Amino acid sequence: MNEKEQKEYLQEYKKEKEKGVPFFPDILFKDAVVSLLLFVILVALAYFLGAPLEERANPANTDYTPRPEWYFLFLFQLLKYFPGKLEVLGVVVLPSIVLLLLFILPLIDRSPRRHFLNRLSVTIPTTIIVAGIVVLTYLSAREAPPPSVTEKGDPIASLYAENCSACHGTSIEVKPGANLHNIIAEGNHDGMPAWSADLTSDEIDALAGFITSPGGSQLFNQNCGSCHVVEELVEGSPMDLKQALENGVSFLPHASVQIPDWNTALSLENRTTLLNFLVAPDGQRLFATNCSTCHGSSLAFAGSDKELRQVISQGGKHLDMPGWKEQVTPEQLDQLSSYIVDPGSAPQTQALFQELCSSCHGEQIPQADSIESARQIIESGGPHRTMPVWGNFLTTEQLDALVSFTRQSMEGNSVAVGQTLFSQHCAACHGALGEGGPNPTKAGDIIAPISSAEYLKTRDDITLMSIISQGQPNFGMSPFGTSNGGPLKDDDIETIVGFIRSWETKPPVELPPEVAVPVLNEKPIQLYAFVCAQCHGVAGEGGVGPEFQSVDFQSQRTDQEIFDSINIGHGSTAMIGWGDILSADQIAQLVALIRSFKQTTVSSGSPDNVSFSKGVLPIFEAHCTSCHGSLGGWDGSNYASVMESGNNSPVIIAGDPQASLLVQKLFGIQTTGGSMPPGTPLTQEEIDLIVSWIAAGAADN
Amino acid sequence: MATRFSNWLDARTGWRNVWDGIFLRKVPKVNWLYTLGSASLFIVVNQVVTGILLTIYYVPTPDHAYDSVQYITTQVALGWLIRGLHHWGASAMVVLVFLHMLRVIFLGSYKFPREVTWFSGVVLFLVVIGFGFTGYLLPWDEKAYWATTVGTQIAGTPPLIGDLALRILRGGEELTAMTLARFFGIHIWVLPAILLGLVGLHVYLVIKHGISTTPKREENSHE
Repeated sequence: MNEKEQKEYLQEYKKEKEKGVPFFPDILFKDAVVSLLLFVILVALAYFLGAPLEERANPANTDYTPRPEWYFLFLFQLLKYFPGKLEVLGVVVLPSIVLLLLFILPLIDRSPRRHFLNRLSVTIPTTIIVAGIVVLTYLSAREAPPPSVTEKGDPIASLYAENCSACHGTSIEVKPGANLHNIIAEGNHDGMPAWSADLTSDEIDALAGFITSPGGSQLFNQNCGSCHVVEELVEGSPMDLKQALENGVSFLPHASVQIPDWNTALSLENRTTLLNFLVAPDGQRLFATNCSTCHGSSLAFAGSDKELRQVISQGGKHLDMPGWKEQVTPEQLDQLSSYIVDPGSAPQTQALFQELCSSCHGEQIPQADSIESARQIIESGGPHRTMPVWGNFLTTEQLDALVSFTRQSMEGNSVAVGQTLFSQHCAACHGALGEGGPNPTKAGDIIAPISSAEYLKTRDDITLMSIISQGQPNFGMSPFGTSNGGPLKDDDIETIVGFIRSWETKPPVELPPEVAVPVLNEKPIQLYAFVCAQCHGVAGEGGVGPEFQSVDFQSQRTDQEIFDSINIGHGSTAMIGWGDILSADQIAQLVALIRSFKQTTVSSGSPDNVSFSKGVLPIFEAHCTSCHGSLGGWDGSNYASVMESGNNSPVIIAGDPQASLLVQKLFGIQTTGGSMPPGTPLTQEEIDLIVSWIAAGAADN
Repeated sequence: MATRFSNWLDARTGWRNVWDGIFLRKVPKVNWLYTLGSASLFIVVNQVVTGILLTIYYVPTPDHAYDSVQYITTQVALGWLIRGLHHWGASAMVVLVFLHMLRVIFLGSYKFPREVTWFSGVVLFLVVIGFGFTGYLLPWDEKAYWATTVGTQIAGTPPLIGDLALRILRGGEELTAMTLARFFGIHIWVLPAILLGLVGLHVYLVIKHGISTTPKREENSHE
């Protein structure tokens, strides 16, 4: 623009100005209208959307996907097209050039023409740049959804996507029976890391299920996901799961919820897929829930895999121990009996044991309470064991996993002995897998897992042994060492510690206990079983502590004295004070319970008319008869057999639930053998129902 | 009475000249697009007022920044409104300034005699971006922290000077309390000072040259 043109422009402008309007009020009015509108919009935004504030900044949180404010998004997006060393070109050089050109625009475009169609050399590049910015912003906004809006998809599928898909792609081919849990946890081939540090045991199992049965994950989400989480069912009993699917609405825990009849809603194929997803993958877990109550942590089987598979799937009387009386000399019998009770005492007998017993028992030494009982069993042949027909409950894939795990675990060791001891003395409070749970002696208190890697790393053997031996009175754990009045010898404690240590390499469970176990409603009878029975006997028959059934005990003490004993304890004996742990109400309830021992009947349940055929029998049918049916031993399939059959019959004493073996088994307070049913206990309602039926006289009604 | 007072005041301040010069001056007739500049100015006022109110409660340390912002939002009377206005005002500012700039480009308003107005405008645009960048960190939430981490990393990309630029921006290798303190200082002292100075210049020039006219398709060209 030369001087002439400049003058012309100024004159032109002067004319326009004179034709124009005064700034106030005309122009200012327009400005005010726009500003006011703008203000209203801002207030509305502030009111309806507010100013967002996320979580407090956490410099350690490396998961956060950073996103700049929206007006920098285009730059952010631009960055993606200039990888590596070119980055500086995209985010520094290019914007700088644009900005510089922008700044000197009046110096470049100096023609007197102002209409945008007369200045295409300026307006077209501008349009392109603006369009570029808009498109880049759009792309960036679309590409990465803000992190606050996370999709609630399939959690296990995304677990797989995060951890496995990078190397394994969308699916993994697995050999039947492969112990996926171990493979994932230990990372057993080239380049595969051990995942046990990053994933919990339940997550690994869920992943294993996903790998074996990817369709199951989807089915789970569609059908079960709104009520259940995978981890909750993964550790469930396959029997329950199968029944839940097959019995549909008549499955007891599902009775009160509105769900479709899975039997018709899902095809057989889908049900199998679902079961495989939930329980197939982990032989260890299958073994623990299904077999370990009878077989400990391992069992011996001399036959081939095919035979083992047959035994598992057909069940029945698979362990028929012959009577050895005629086949061994009395000396050998003596040696074997004492070896079984205390293997350390007669090491030379090991050869004999291996010769005669190992073909069935493997390295695992059977358990016996005394030399006499051991001798008796060996002489006469033990009571046969019955086994459910697992073929009815397990899918092919599950059987594969179970067979292969059983094989692997056959190298029996002292850990098995430790596990038996643990399940007898510790599992009631700490859970079979050390997962902890509600503290039965302290309302509202949770016993933390003792099987977590963290717990085990931070305690050495001596600490663990002294905890077991001396107890932790503050937390309601009574002393277990013989030196402190408990039932366990130092050797036993060492063995238990050995078993606990075995978790270190393979932590069995890492669920927080409040999730893993439903909170128990402590009834006095349960409190007694957990707190007192150990020393005073299950039915108050006495032991380390005094006998409650005796007339002397009952007549010489007032209620207040019993209350004080429980509350304060006796310094001179192993009786610790429970006052810190139990509430006064709980102690008073215990006193009442102890008082009831001299009576013949205990009424611990409502004396309502509970029907056998409608209330009790269905529970037996759902939970017991798969083992306790026609296979021998106690038979739970009809009234007569319930009351009369069994190796220790009668298991029910009408009117006295406490003395009934059945009830003791249900509560897990009968120390010979495990609690019943193995794996998942009955619900409190179910137990209550059975207890009140017995208390009311166990009639056939 | 009122006339007497205004005469008295005029004799001492000369306000009538200012009033006549600014408000009663004649201006060419223009369309609504020409309100974008004054709308931006309105947002400046909004940001200054709400910003000052926010500094009454805001504490620029990593320990307290987040809590104080939360306090402002939930406890202070109308605090949500003040913070909301400031937050959305910032976005509105970027939009308006951008549109204002496009309007000036497409209607050729940066040309003689308004080149300096344009220069000051471009610098103002950069200042607004600077406000956005520094203000983003202040709430000290996850978004703020990580977006600024990435943002300052970009400053570290150029060879030779990149490292130095990064260290100056962050006040060290890492994003720390130093960074927060310096962003706060820039956001409430340095940038506002530059902003107000430039806005003064910009508005003075706009008044001096008057609003540009809407150009016509048939222009007399003397080339």
